Amino acid sequence: MAMTLTSKTAAVAGKTILSVRNLHKIFKTPEGSDLVVLDNINLDLAEGEIVALLGRSGSGKSTLLRCLIGLISPSSGEVRYRNRLVTSPMPGMAMVFQSFALFPWLTVLENVELGLETMGVPEGERRRRALAAIDLIGLDGFESAYPKELSGGMRQRVGFARALVTNPDILLMDEPFSALDVLTAENLRTELLDLWETRRIPTKAILMVTHNIEEAVLMADRVLILSSNPGRIISNEQIDLPRPRDRNDSAFLARVETIYRAMTTPIATVVGAVGVESEHTSLGMRLPEADVAQIIGLIEQVESGSGQGRGDLPALAAGMQLDVDDLFPLIDAAELLGFAQIREGDINLLPEGVKLARSDIQERKVIFAEHLINRVPLIAHIRRVLSTRPDHRAPRERFLTELEDFMGTEEATRTLDTAIEWGRYAELFEYDAREGRLRLPENGG
Amino acid sequence: MRATFPDTGVLRPRFRLTSWDIVVIPLVIVAILLLTIAFQGASQPFNETTPDLTVSLNPANLPYYGLRTVFRMFLAVLLSLLFTFTVATLAAKSRRAEIVIIPTLDFLQSLPILGFLTVTTSIFLGVFRGNLLGLEAASIFAIFTSQVWNMAFSFYHSLITTPRELQEAAAVLRLSPWKKFWRLEVPFAIPSLVWNTMMSVSGGWFFVVASEVISVVGRDNDQYLPGVGSYIALAIEQADVAAMVYAGLTLLIIILIYDQLIFRPIVAWSEKFKFEQSEAQEIAQSWMLRLLQRSGIASSLGMLGTTIRQMLPVRLAANHPGPRVEPQPSPGAIDRVIDRVWYALVLAAALWAVWFLATYMFGPGLGFDNGQILAANPNINTDLNPEIARRFAAVGVTVNPDHTVWLSDVCAATADGTRVSAEMTEVLRDERVGAPGDLAAACAIPMVPAGKVSWSEVLECLWLGLLTTMRVIIWIGISTLVWTPIGVWIGLRPRVAQFVQPLAQFAAAFPANLLFPIAVVLIATYALPQNLFQAPLMILGAQWYILFNVIAGTSSIPNDLKEAARVLGLRGWAWWRKLIIPAIFPAFVTGGITASGGSWNASIVSEVVSWGTTTLTLPGLGAYIAYWSTGEFNPHVGLGMLVMGLLVLGFNRLFWRQLYMLAETRFRLD
Repeated sequence: MAMTLTSKTAAVAGKTILSVRNLHKIFKTPEGSDLVVLDNINLDLAEGEIVALLGRSGSGKSTLLRCLIGLISPSSGEVRYRNRLVTSPMPGMAMVFQSFALFPWLTVLENVELGLETMGVPEGERRRRALAAIDLIGLDGFESAYPKELSGGMRQRVGFARALVTNPDILLMDEPFSALDVLTAENLRTELLDLWETRRIPTKAILMVTHNIEEAVLMADRVLILSSNPGRIISNEQIDLPRPRDRNDSAFLARVETIYRAMTTPIATVVGAVGVESEHTSLGMRLPEADVAQIIGLIEQVESGSGQGRGDLPALAAGMQLDVDDLFPLIDAAELLGFAQIREGDINLLPEGVKLARSDIQERKVIFAEHLINRVPLIAHIRRVLSTRPDHRAPRERFLTELEDFMGTEEATRTLDTAIEWGRYAELFEYDAREGRLRLPENGG
Repeated sequence: MRATFPDTGVLRPRFRLTSWDIVVIPLVIVAILLLTIAFQGASQPFNETTPDLTVSLNPANLPYYGLRTVFRMFLAVLLSLLFTFTVATLAAKSRRAEIVIIPTLDFLQSLPILGFLTVTTSIFLGVFRGNLLGLEAASIFAIFTSQVWNMAFSFYHSLITTPRELQEAAAVLRLSPWKKFWRLEVPFAIPSLVWNTMMSVSGGWFFVVASEVISVVGRDNDQYLPGVGSYIALAIEQADVAAMVYAGLTLLIIILIYDQLIFRPIVAWSEKFKFEQSEAQEIAQSWMLRLLQRSGIASSLGMLGTTIRQMLPVRLAANHPGPRVEPQPSPGAIDRVIDRVWYALVLAAALWAVWFLATYMFGPGLGFDNGQILAANPNINTDLNPEIARRFAAVGVTVNPDHTVWLSDVCAATADGTRVSAEMTEVLRDERVGAPGDLAAACAIPMVPAGKVSWSEVLECLWLGLLTTMRVIIWIGISTLVWTPIGVWIGLRPRVAQFVQPLAQFAAAFPANLLFPIAVVLIATYALPQNLFQAPLMILGAQWYILFNVIAGTSSIPNDLKEAARVLGLRGWAWWRKLIIPAIFPAFVTGGITASGGSWNASIVSEVVSWGTTTLTLPGLGAYIAYWSTGEFNPHVGLGMLVMGLLVLGFNRLFWRQLYMLAETRFRLD
């Protein structure tokens, strides 16, 4: 349906229907230590608003969503829906999943009816309401189809129908559009907003988890930014723009810029950008999971751009089709390795970064190697250990055990794998995956 | 406002007859009729006065015998499903139950299936006192043990790997645990369960044939349950070639009917439950399934379940809260204590079981007396001949119901070989009796109690086990070398594969024991070496698993790999080593595991084969178990089964599992 409405979404101070107080969630790692995933979360969801939860992967945003709907119980603190304590999924709250979570052996109609079945709604009324919901989200004619026959966008529509058919007060969405292609995702966003604006769905509030900054600004009235390790709400940005919103509008872009700034400004505690902790120069420094080719690609992109070695993050992200989870590890890595500086939503290349972008393949490896040795203690350590051993070999377990003094096994494995990938590129050492052994390069690199 | 119309399928009236019903309705009626006939036959009275059960070789009886055999198979499948749904579910839902159940199932599936027949016959006869169902139950139980482990493991595995997101969706929609089980977990498990069930049934025809002739303690003769297996056994005894041919034809028809009317439709139907995100290129087709789907009565029978559910009062679950889906909550302190107690209990039970088994097998001294190892106590009625047993009984020797006569009992009756009566000497001199030359000297050596096993016999058993193991290894190796090139050749040609695949599956289902007599005749007539011509019988039925798995593996090599190989000029041995062997390795391992399991089981019926009066025996563990399957569980058959179970378990762990891990890590094509 064509969007001809220009209603202004005033920040209506509606009644609070979901409130979270002092929520903590702690998981136990296999080694037995505590991993704080969510730290002292407080938030309110009021009627009439769409709120986006923005954060990088590992920020606990999906965990928070599951605490809100009652799938997971918090370690401490409470979640209240209409002032009733939430301990398990309740009628009135519905959820849409990232990969649709449709039952493959049920038809579209049966999938949509499933929630009504458990509510004890009699068959005739169930069918009527399910058909109405399917009609609403535009899947007429597909009632007897099986999910296998549908495209991704259509499957997510079924996901929406299934959630909306129960007339929920609150609709919780876990990255609902991230598994869809760009065009389909845009289409569905627009239609959902349309249904919301024209009040054709009785839902009173929507909370969506996303890692796409533009999507958050496009859809939400408020954006909550979550940090990682542990997850804390570090910012609450109001988006008081009228809908429908234009991505190219200057006000829109300003909001996006604000959010980038909020996410890249280092605060005393941990933020989305440089994962600074007390182990700043120690072996236990966490390495961003960034692919070497992509790091260099990013640097090249900034260098060849018109900003003279400075790049606007939102523009870069849009131009390279990257969202938070793809972009931020790259800029973290660039900063960590000393090729760039991240300030206030911009990336500024340092002279070394410019030099890297302009060199040929072999020179690049040399520069990269130099920076790795100087700035990543783990890689320097590996190199040292290999040099001192008579046969210049060492099993990876040896380094893994050392890393486990600083972090859990899973994290240690990830860090070591990243270090190995970077080190191999820079020809600082070689790695035999079959035997799990590192060694110095043959030609004495 | 655009008019919207829901899909017409939704508005179709519930019940109406179509033209397909003309075929389906009679089929349903016939099926019910057959079930009734079979059941009536199976529940005749059977007690001490009932004459021995025999079958007749008249081919006109074959349809009825076929019906009875199919009936047994059908009941075994039902029992297996029941077991699977209860035990596997328990193992998946309860961590504590899991640590007991899974290893137990693992061990049980390594035990030879035909050994179970010996164990349970007397138990079931006791339970079904006075009724033929006792014997039927023993036979059905043996078939059950050939199917159930596979199915249970498959279901258990599906339950623990149910996709997390679907579990969360079910929790958010507030499905009760019962509803969740039937709407989510079971449907997810269906493709794998169906496949495993159908494969188990295919493999089961072999055991059906071998399990219809049952030795009953207290009766001299074996009891022949009415069925195709008994027919074949009698035909072999009487060396009746024509009867064998008729039996073979009957089996062919039965398996064909099963394949077309049951196997393929069910597998095609189970496609609907596959948790793939895209439609598979080749969907399993079945004309039978289409027939059922288009028939009105079949669909309303299917709706029956739903209709019944709806007639029950609906609990108003409007405000019923849903369950939580925590990621594994860390166990609290109390849980840990209960865990420790539970582990301790399990350990204690296991130790007690081991001790109990040891004393049962070796006797109270565990095969020792005053620090000395006790000698073996042989059964001197080596053919288990009932007439000889009676003669021994007549001279005062204790004789057992299974016709074994232990040396220690002879010693007891003759005061350690000193007072030997004339009649006794006569019996001892009979050439069928394996009496020691110097009775007094033999009796002077301390031996294990009557019927028990000695350590020297354990060694002997291990040695026999080694022989059988060697045979399994060698012949699986030879089949691999023979069938892999052929399988690859076929797999590379899709049209040939399409034709051959079902044939190979069919061959795997057809009981190979029917063909054993041919080997007997050939070996006996031409004095062929047994190790070369009798030993391979064990893989006769099992080798097809290797073939059709290799074909399947080859067919699924991605085209671009094959093309890249051609472009790079990969030829000859390099082509094999770099492309084909790594690519089909996972499929081969699957086939190999099944084939070797099948060979072990087959060894019991292939190391002792007969035709008429000719019997050929190969020394081996299978022959040992076959010999000691006297109709009652005894320490010797227990020893044989235990050794075979441990060998199979060891072989699987040390060899096949390593290959499987290798296949999973290095050779996956994704």
